Amino acid sequence: MLVKLSLSSMRKMFKDYLVLLFGLTISIAIFYMFQTLAQNEAFVEANKMISATMFVFHVGTFILGFITIFYIFYATSFIQTLRQKEMAMYLTLGAKKSKITQLMFMETLFIGIVSLVIGIIIGMGLTAVIADVLMDMLDFSAEATGFKAIYTSSIITTVIFYIILFLLTSIVNAWQIGKKKVLDLLQANKQEDVIKTSGLKTFFGVLVSIILMVIGYYTMIHIAKFQHFGVILATITIVPGTYFIFISFLPYFVKKLKQNRMLNETGINSFTLGQLRFRMLNLTKVLGTVAMLIALGLGAMTAGLSFYHNIELQASSFQANDAAIYEPTKEDIDTIEAMDVSEKNTYEYKLTNDGVFFLKDSLLEKPPLVPHFDRSMEAISDIQIKRVEEKLPASLYTMDGTEGEELPDKWLNAISLELNASYTMFGERTVYVVDQSHYENVDAKEKQVIVTKTDDFSKHVSSFKQLEERQQEVAESYVGKPVDNVGGKYNNYVSLKSFSSGTVFMGIFLGIAFLMMMASVLMFKLLSSAGADIERYHMLRKIGVRQSLLQRSIYRELFLLFLFPAIIGLVHVLIGMQMFSFILVEPYTKVWLPISIFLVIYGLYYVITVQLYKRIVLPKHH
Amino acid sequence: MAQSVLQVNHLNKVYGKRKETQYHALKNISFAMKQGEFVGIMGASGAGKTTLLNVISTLDQASSGSVKIAGTDITNMKQNQLADFRSQQLGFIFQDFNLLENLTVYENIALPLSLQGVAVKNIKPSVLKVAKNLGIEEILPKYPVTISGGQKQRVAAARALVHEPALILADEPTGALDSKNAKSLMETFVHMNENLGTSIMLVTHDPLSASYCQRILFIQDGQLYKEIHRTHKRNEFHQAILDVLSEINKPNEW
Repeated sequence: MLVKLSLSSMRKMFKDYLVLLFGLTISIAIFYMFQTLAQNEAFVEANKMISATMFVFHVGTFILGFITIFYIFYATSFIQTLRQKEMAMYLTLGAKKSKITQLMFMETLFIGIVSLVIGIIIGMGLTAVIADVLMDMLDFSAEATGFKAIYTSSIITTVIFYIILFLLTSIVNAWQIGKKKVLDLLQANKQEDVIKTSGLKTFFGVLVSIILMVIGYYTMIHIAKFQHFGVILATITIVPGTYFIFISFLPYFVKKLKQNRMLNETGINSFTLGQLRFRMLNLTKVLGTVAMLIALGLGAMTAGLSFYHNIELQASSFQANDAAIYEPTKEDIDTIEAMDVSEKNTYEYKLTNDGVFFLKDSLLEKPPLVPHFDRSMEAISDIQIKRVEEKLPASLYTMDGTEGEELPDKWLNAISLELNASYTMFGERTVYVVDQSHYENVDAKEKQVIVTKTDDFSKHVSSFKQLEERQQEVAESYVGKPVDNVGGKYNNYVSLKSFSSGTVFMGIFLGIAFLMMMASVLMFKLLSSAGADIERYHMLRKIGVRQSLLQRSIYRELFLLFLFPAIIGLVHVLIGMQMFSFILVEPYTKVWLPISIFLVIYGLYYVITVQLYKRIVLPKHH
Repeated sequence: MAQSVLQVNHLNKVYGKRKETQYHALKNISFAMKQGEFVGIMGASGAGKTTLLNVISTLDQASSGSVKIAGTDITNMKQNQLADFRSQQLGFIFQDFNLLENLTVYENIALPLSLQGVAVKNIKPSVLKVAKNLGIEEILPKYPVTISGGQKQRVAAARALVHEPALILADEPTGALDSKNAKSLMETFVHMNENLGTSIMLVTHDPLSASYCQRILFIQDGQLYKEIHRTHKRNEFHQAILDVLSEINKPNEW
């Protein structure tokens, strides 16, 4: 009989259960998505650019598991508050407590299993789609890395993890209902929030939060000075600092807003701000956690993308020019001319069986560009690109000075890197720079090499690929055997890219998973407290507040609740990226991209939360 | 003769669709209330008191007939118009106070004014004035959780009064109060009615509370059953009310 009642009431509260189902499904899907990466050791091993990758994954699994546990408890307590009165009614009608507990247990488990099935299916879909898009973007194939969207061991882990979790929460929920008195259950919604504020405590809280944040930000900005110690210092200051901001600073801020009578006593503002203030006091820990997760997820994504964009910058830090083309064909010249070329120099050389002879005069006439390094430089972006200025007074130079003079450093760079006169290009041949008379004595045909630079290397990657394929043939004809890497900027770029794209992929993938997770935590926590607001909105309707005004109040209140952690998380990320300034050339390149991804995900959650919340609290018209 | 603040004409309220089992909650009710009157509505549970109050307070729509408040016919208004009308012309007091716990007493009282867009500089004097009138100046900065039931109901009365509505609708306001607080609240109503000229419609089933009114309408089975006026002392009126109630509940009618 009770089962029948329970089923019928579940059907009645289908909408509310839909919210729960939705939330659990998301959580499961994301957990699964994470597991597809974390469990796929072949993938992680193949792509670990930094040795700490596995460690990052273990930490990630731990954090995600931890959040999930919280999440499930929020979600189930949400449904519990909805059912309490009904349970109490059964009790007053004489149902046995053990029967009710059993019922509650079965219900939670049932919902759990349904969401587990849907969640894993959605998780597979999400993983496949996101992985596909990212791999396409990063030119990196799933087959080569062993990445799979449907991964048996991940499915097993997800199922076991969630079954245990659901069992646990079902037991806890049933136990909680069981130990409560019937009266408490009947009056479940009558609890009132108590506001506790002590001026001195708030003041110290605000002060502490500001001091901690300043220290943390300072160490992150000057990470070069503090090194490893700085990372630890930043962690132990920023994490508690963030929580302190939500515990003391923001409630203080809203209180100040409320004290502005001009603002507070206009329209429905006093209600909106009142809601916000009370809500915030209940949500401090959640908001703090969400802000930290935004920082982590967005940080992982930004760092990932920034790594990616830095490949080009890093590749170009060795060479000032984009390519050296030996024996350019008509086709090569056409390709070069089709690009926006900012530099194009042609130099003459002769090739014999055991030597390469560059004509000194042709080099001096328009010296090639080289990067200028300096000891005092802190970042790669400080490198200046200048022409080689040294004169070459001697009549014959070699790279190591075994014959004639030794090439000065800058010229050595120019010849070996800019002109790519390397072992892979010329094999065992000695590289000479000679004056006109020596040059004329070399018994070989004069050839040409074009050294060129475009306005933007990354824009013309495909053209450089073509040029490089031709150079490979030239190199093979010089060396007389197959060459797999001629060197030069394009090849540096390709190898750096393949080296890092796995890491980039993981960063972005995890970042997205984290963001989706944390926004849904916030959504759930907000919805689980919506039950208490129903009466307030009914009352407001009675005293004559228009529906549209009530809606606006909801939009604004939730907007601010979403906004605060977003702002703090964003600031953390923007300042935190400074930590990468010694690994990455320009940590802020294209930072708008991860931020937009974040804003889209977060914005979606905001809209969904508002819609669901409205459905719960707003009075329905007769 | 004073202008009428409320006119109810041939009001009917039927629940349930046609061809289904219909329930007549209100049957052809007509009455009027003059400006500055203190009228009580009494009746047993299920007699139609709450339905009548919901229709008058524009929260529910009549099936036929009309309700005019301060000269405006509310029966055919749209949702938004109704909301505006409620916020301007009506003041509500409920059994369970219905204060917003997340606002201070001051903010609770000020809310109707803020909602009407009253200039901020004019809000404080109005709130202070009404708080003084009801003797709750001391508790203005407190939150509802920290004050007593009697105080909460005074705050609710202050909130109902602050925007000087045409009509105050009180639904069992003493229902959740002990006898001392109930008496004190009813005295406050009398004070509001006599000294501030507030029109009050009180719905109750408590004869003692009702005895503070000037006139009482009895409703039974959705129809007006009887109307009595207070002519003498309150004690006698109380007795008269009890007489009518016992008449309504005569066992031989069952």
